[in-house]
Amino acid sequence: MVDPRMMTEPVTPDWTRQPSPARWLAGELRDHLWPWSRQGMQRRGASRLVQLFGFAFAVIVSACWVLAVRGELGPHGVIAWWTGWSAFEVALRLQAKPYVKEGPWWERRYRRASPMDMVCYVGFKNLLLGAALFFALKSQGFLGAA
Amino acid sequence: MPSLPDSLKRWMRLAFLSVAVALPATAPALAQTAYEAQLPAALDTAAALCEHVPCAEVVPGATHFSERKGQPRYVEAYVERNGHRELAGYVVLSTDVTDTPAYSGKPVVTLIGLDTRGRFIGVRILKHSEPILLLGIPEAALTAFNRQYLGKFIGDNIEIGHSRPDENIIGLDAISGATVTVIAQNQVMMAAGAAVGRQVGLLEATVRPPAQFLDPGRPLDWATMVSEGLVRRLAVRPEQVGLARAAEPFIELWFGDLNHPAIGRAVLGGDGWAALRQRLGEHDHALFILRTAGRESFKGSGFVRGGLYDRVQVRQGQDAFTFRDLDYLNLYGVRAAGAPAFSESGIFIVRSPAFSAAWPWKLVFLGNRVDRETGARTFANFDAEYWLPDDYLAGGRPAVVQPDAPWVRIWKTRAPQIALFSLLLVTTALVYASRDRLTRRASRKNPWPVNAFKYAAWITSIGFVGFGLLAQPSITQVLTWFHALLFQWTWSLFLSDPFIFLFWIFIIVTVFLWGRGLFCGWLCPFGSLSELIYKVAGAVGLKRIQFSLPKALHDRLKWVKYGVFLGLLAVSMFSMTLAEQLAEIEPFKTTFLVGLFNRSWPYTLFAAGLLGLSIFIERPFCKYLCPLGAALAMPSTFRWFGLRRKQECDRCKACGTGCGSLAIDADGRIDQRECLLCLDCMVMYTDDHACPPLVSERKRRTRAGVEMTPIGTDGYFIPIRPVPPDTPPAN
Ligand code: SF4
Ligand code: SF4
Repeated sequence: MVDPRMMTEPVTPDWTRQPSPARWLAGELRDHLWPWSRQGMQRRGASRLVQLFGFAFAVIVSACWVLAVRGELGPHGVIAWWTGWSAFEVALRLQAKPYVKEGPWWERRYRRASPMDMVCYVGFKNLLLGAALFFALKSQGFLGAA
Repeated sequence: MPSLPDSLKRWMRLAFLSVAVALPATAPALAQTAYEAQLPAALDTAAALCEHVPCAEVVPGATHFSERKGQPRYVEAYVERNGHRELAGYVVLSTDVTDTPAYSGKPVVTLIGLDTRGRFIGVRILKHSEPILLLGIPEAALTAFNRQYLGKFIGDNIEIGHSRPDENIIGLDAISGATVTVIAQNQVMMAAGAAVGRQVGLLEATVRPPAQFLDPGRPLDWATMVSEGLVRRLAVRPEQVGLARAAEPFIELWFGDLNHPAIGRAVLGGDGWAALRQRLGEHDHALFILRTAGRESFKGSGFVRGGLYDRVQVRQGQDAFTFRDLDYLNLYGVRAAGAPAFSESGIFIVRSPAFSAAWPWKLVFLGNRVDRETGARTFANFDAEYWLPDDYLAGGRPAVVQPDAPWVRIWKTRAPQIALFSLLLVTTALVYASRDRLTRRASRKNPWPVNAFKYAAWITSIGFVGFGLLAQPSITQVLTWFHALLFQWTWSLFLSDPFIFLFWIFIIVTVFLWGRGLFCGWLCPFGSLSELIYKVAGAVGLKRIQFSLPKALHDRLKWVKYGVFLGLLAVSMFSMTLAEQLAEIEPFKTTFLVGLFNRSWPYTLFAAGLLGLSIFIERPFCKYLCPLGAALAMPSTFRWFGLRRKQECDRCKACGTGCGSLAIDADGRIDQRECLLCLDCMVMYTDDHACPPLVSERKRRTRAGVEMTPIGTDGYFIPIRPVPPDTPPAN
């Protein structure tokens, strides 16, 4: 039976069962920053090659931010890599963590993510993350010239 | 919804798709001349300015023009009479005087003509980058605005808004929807006029009482002078002049007052300062400049040719003071302990009673900025303020009234409208927050308790917000914000349009609380206009020909708007200008800002086509094309408070059939990205004469003669629980 109260069916990721609010909050933070999950990948049978590619991509994108700090990569380069990573992260999360939050952010309700849900989630999260990193770099005098 | 003959429906669908796809595609091709016009490469540097720009247009009748002269630069215009040249007026290029940015963040490059009595006699926009004035009417509006200056004196108090004769203020009519642009333009016109007027004696310089210095009598070292603000630093980074970022500044200057005995003695030593004093006249004022980094000379080479130092100048209020070779003395060393090493130095003398060290002044470094893409040079100046501290002036610093920033002036002049607009936003949010009470009072047969508020919101948003305040939010703002978030956040830019600023605060808050529906469904001027047309058409008997696309087709077409939004976002990364042109897919500017009949026909046809289509389909633009709707729909995925549903909604199709936004799927689930919060389904939710599970429960209770209890938040009658017989009666 479909639950019409949510756009997709509810799910309860294991880590959300933490009784302690502090641990749950830490889990939330980790969930936003770390797109991989062992169970999710295994359940969906992702190949080692895909996993390896994902880690390599993450390393390259992190390196891009480091290059930006060193002034060797301009803002457009960083944005291009960040967008590419975001597209990959959508695909990755749909495999590894295929859920999004439902309702108030301080509650623990989650539901299965459709591809569009995931695009919205990753797009929004990475925009905020990117803006925060850009702001930090700019305030330190990096990424000056467009 | 009544069904139409298939052939008619097909035809309408085809017409809809053609209008939707073809017209926006033709729009960007219609660029006008001054928008992002290509300026002559030598515009900023050529001595013979008038060989490159149409000076004769701004000083009518002039046949000869001098080379650029003065600082800021201007040109003299001459007419030929009886074989003699007579001075007919002056021409000034706005960017020679100021690089005041307009709404786009770039200056409106304007050529201004004055007659010999200091009246504006011609204005010509050479280039602007204002998205708001992008296409169609725009240049005409700006030209008409500029015509208001003709005949006015450069020293008049000219402001945007009403004239106030008792305060000696001449008001100019703004361009609706482009207030920021015209405020910037007014600053440019007045600054340019004043810059020429002061140099040619048409305006008298302000006379400021000379400073009375206080000498603390103790020797000053360099560090103390820096910390007390007696010497100041002016640094320009390479990226500010369009060069690659580097650790070393393009130029770093230190400067300070030399008339003040404490500073003079610290820099020149007692004897040196006494010698300098000997050489200064009553109204002369000396200052020193050191270059401590960079290779660029602050003296420049201009003084060799024309005896004028063209890299530095001093400004105080509206007055600019430039230096000629006689105003310069060598500075061989700085005595103050701890002074930095320097590679260029000099003493400059301001010779004017208009200058007073008691008031704040600025040292200005006049440079050029090179556009790295085009290689074009534009005028740019960099300044640092200097004001002797209280302890060094007898009686302390005089009171200085700083004029309000342009955005503050806008907020002040539009305060009543801002208050009304804020009231509208707050009221709408409060009404929506009380939706539970309203929907319970309403029923499918009598939806007025909800609709009265909604329709009032639509009418107000169309009339007051859209046509009155021209406050239609647009995707270009999302793109601008996105860029600002990543590149440079300028509060004053966003604050300069109070209505849009407040609207966006409302939008951001309500999107996270309830989703995009409160803005789109209740307050978006274009969306409201579109739905009102649909409703009125239905009410006047056109319901028979109104239809919605089949759900399956709708579910495919709804993605188009997301494609449009992401496409615009991607294009904006490469060219904001192109993105702004493509954003003409929004008919907002044509409908509200410029007016349906004031634009070239493709725009009018596109906007009118969409509004016309709204007679047949509910909100066709919102459903399938609107990039702003898409941009707001994406975060609506994570809205906090959704609408209510009950388990039976999965089989019941009552709400789904009535949902004009086609936001309810076959399983009764609401797509929060598409829902426009019309509340029709929420009225059903508690209507025991319309919601099938409630209807059957009502009937069952009526048959059984059981009391009707109120409907709970779960959407069911509150169950009647029989009290066990052995429970003691309540007191
Ligand atoms: S979808 Fe676009 S036009 Fe429609 S209501 Fe929303 S913002 Fe306005
Ligand atoms: S009927 Fe319900 S789901 Fe449809 S737009 Fe209105 S409020 Fe949203």
